[in-house]
Amino acid sequence: MSILLNRETKALIQGITGRVGQSQTRWMLEYGTNIVAGVTPGKGGWVVEGIPVYDTVAEAVAEQGAEASVFFVPPQGVKEAAIQTIDVGIKLIVVITEHIPVHDVMEIREYATDSDVQIVGPTSPGIITVGEAKLGIMPGNMFKPGRIGLISRSGTLTYEVSVNLATAGFGQSTAVGIGADPVVFTNVTELLRLFEEDPDTDLVVLVGEVGGMQEEEAAEYIKKSMTKPVVAYIAGLNVPQEKRMGHAGAIIQGDGRGTAQSKVSALQEAGAEVAQFPAEVVRLVQKRLTSS
Amino acid sequence: MRLYEFEANGLFARKGIPVPRNAVVTSPQEAREKAEEIGLPVMLKAQVLTGGRGLAGAVQAAESLDQVDRGTESLLASSVRGLPVQQVMVAQKVDVAKELYLGVTIDGYRGTPVVIVSSEGGVSVNQLVMEQPKSVAMRPVSISKGLHLAEAREMCREVGMKGHEVTPVASMLTALYRVFESYDCLVAEINPLARTTQGKYLGLDAKVEIDDSSLYRHTDLNLDVEGRIDNPRERKGREIGVTYVELDGDIGLIASGAGLGMASMDIIKQKMRPANFLETGGGITAELLYNAMDLVMQKEGLRAVFINIYGGINPIHEGAKGVGKYIKEHNVSIPVVAKALGNRQEETWEIFREHGVHVVTDISTEKAIEYLAGLLEATA
Repeated sequence: MSILLNRETKALIQGITGRVGQSQTRWMLEYGTNIVAGVTPGKGGWVVEGIPVYDTVAEAVAEQGAEASVFFVPPQGVKEAAIQTIDVGIKLIVVITEHIPVHDVMEIREYATDSDVQIVGPTSPGIITVGEAKLGIMPGNMFKPGRIGLISRSGTLTYEVSVNLATAGFGQSTAVGIGADPVVFTNVTELLRLFEEDPDTDLVVLVGEVGGMQEEEAAEYIKKSMTKPVVAYIAGLNVPQEKRMGHAGAIIQGDGRGTAQSKVSALQEAGAEVAQFPAEVVRLVQKRLTSS
Repeated sequence: MRLYEFEANGLFARKGIPVPRNAVVTSPQEAREKAEEIGLPVMLKAQVLTGGRGLAGAVQAAESLDQVDRGTESLLASSVRGLPVQQVMVAQKVDVAKELYLGVTIDGYRGTPVVIVSSEGGVSVNQLVMEQPKSVAMRPVSISKGLHLAEAREMCREVGMKGHEVTPVASMLTALYRVFESYDCLVAEINPLARTTQGKYLGLDAKVEIDDSSLYRHTDLNLDVEGRIDNPRERKGREIGVTYVELDGDIGLIASGAGLGMASMDIIKQKMRPANFLETGGGITAELLYNAMDLVMQKEGLRAVFINIYGGINPIHEGAKGVGKYIKEHNVSIPVVAKALGNRQEETWEIFREHGVHVVTDISTEKAIEYLAGLLEATA
C-alpha cells in the first residue's frame, strides 16, 4: 500500500473554506482522495465541493471518522489547530502552510512526541500515493504509478524530479515533501525507514538542498540500515555562503557544514548515487535498478 | 532577521543582561559628546550586520576625544565586508580578565533549542567546539519547560567554572534563554561575555537573529525590516514578496520555488551565469510576476530571462498574464524563455506565446536552459 496514505484513508481538510483550501480540495477530490470532512472554525454547516464543513476537528472525527488531515490554515493559527488535531487522535497531519514561526513548530513537535501521530511539513507540498490519493498541493499530472519512493525537501523540485522519472517510465509509489523550514516535523530518516519497510517500493530518490543536517543524518541511516538503493540530488551547489535562498532552511553558515558538497560526500560515502543535475536522477535510477 | 548589536543590546537590557554603557552615533561630533558622557577610554564599533568585525578593523579603541573623532570619521567612511557603515557604537572600554561564551540556538534536525556555554570566548563557537571541545557544554532544552537555573549551573560546572563564578554566569545564561524565547530567536549569543578585572560580568558583543516568520508578533520592537537590506534590488524583492538574491551574471531567473530556483542556478552555471536568484513561493498572482519581471529587468546587461514555474498551489496562468503585461508595456527585447508545468499548463503556454515568450514544453529544466543557450548563440 506504499506509505502513509492510500485511497481508503479518510481525509479531513482544515482551512477548507479559504480560497486555496477550496481549489485544492477540488484537485484532491479529482485525484481520488477520500475526503470526508472539512473544518473551518465558525463555518460549520457550510458545504465545499460537496464536503460537509464542521467548526471543530472533534466534530469532523465524530461525524465522519476522519483519520488524516491536511492544513491550509494561516500561519498564526497552526499551533492551536495542530494541538487540537493531535488531541482528537488524528494519525497523519500534513502541514502545507508556509511561514509558521519556528518556535511554534518546535512546540508542536514536542507536543506530538508522546502521541503516535505522524506530522509532515511545514511548507510541505504534501503526500501523494500515486494513482490513489493525495493530501497536498502537488499537481497530479507530474506523477505516474510505479515503485520508486520519493522524498523531497523542496516542493517544486519534487515535481521536476517526478515528472522526469515518470516520463522515462519510472513511476512512484509515494512521494513526500518534508518541507523546507529549519525545523520539520518528520525528518528524512523517518521516511527512509518507512520506504525501506514498504513492499511496494524498490528504490528511494532523495531530493535535498543546501542547509541543515537532513542529508548528513540520512547518509548515516542509509549506511547502517538501508538495503534498498538510494539515488539523491542536492540543489544549491552554487549558493553563496550566508545568503538565504528562499527556504528558511537553505542557508549555509560559515562553518562549512550544510553545504551541497558536504551532503554529496556524505551520501556517496554511504553508497548512494548522487546526481549532478535533476534530470541525471533518471539515469542513476536506471543504473541502480538494472544492476541490482 | 539579523539585529544590529545595539538592537540586540536593547533586548538584553529588557531581560536583565548587563552590557557596558553605550550609545549609537552617526557623526564624529555626536561620538565626542557621547564619549565624554560615558568616560574615556571607549570602544568604537561599526554597526554592520556581519561577524568578524574585529578582524576587519571595524572595532577600535579610543583613548582620547581626538581619537574618538578620527576613529568615528574613518569608520563612517568605511565598509565592512562590502557593507557600508552608517552607525557607530561608542561603548565604555572595560578591563577584561577573562572571556567566556554563552549562546542559544536551534538544533534543526532534532527540533529543539540548544544552550551552549564555554569557559573560553571571543572566537566562534564552531572554532571552540573544534579546538577546545572540553571548554564547551551543550544541551537541548524542552521548548515548553525552558531553561532552569539549576541546569544552567550544572552546565557552568561542566566546563570548569567554580564557586563565585557559577551563579552570575548561570543567571546570565537563563536571561539569554529568556531573550531567545521571548523574541522568537534563531540565534542569541553573547560572545564574548567578559569578566572584568573588578569581577563584574558584562556582555561585550551581542548576536541576535529573529525568525522572519515571527515578526508579526514583535511589532512593538519597531524594527526596520526592509531598511537593513543593503542591496536595493534585494530590498525591493522583500517589499514585493519574493526572495531576490543578486548574483554576478547576466541570465535573469524567476522560479516558483526555492529548490527549483537553486537547481536552475546550478544548471545555468554550467555554460552561462545567473544574474540573480528569485523565488516566489506559493503566492503567485499576475501582479506578483509583473513585479518580479520588473525587478529582474533592473539588472544592467541582462541577456535573457528564464522563468521556471510549477502549477501546484500557484495559479501559473495568472502569473503568465503578469509576465505578458510587463513584456507588452516595456517592449522587452531580450529573449524570455518559460518552462511552466502542472495545473492549467496548456492555458499558461497559450498566454505566454501570445506575448512572444519562448515556451519550452520539455519536462526537464536542463532542456529548457539548453534551448535558452541556443537562442543566445543564434543571436550572438
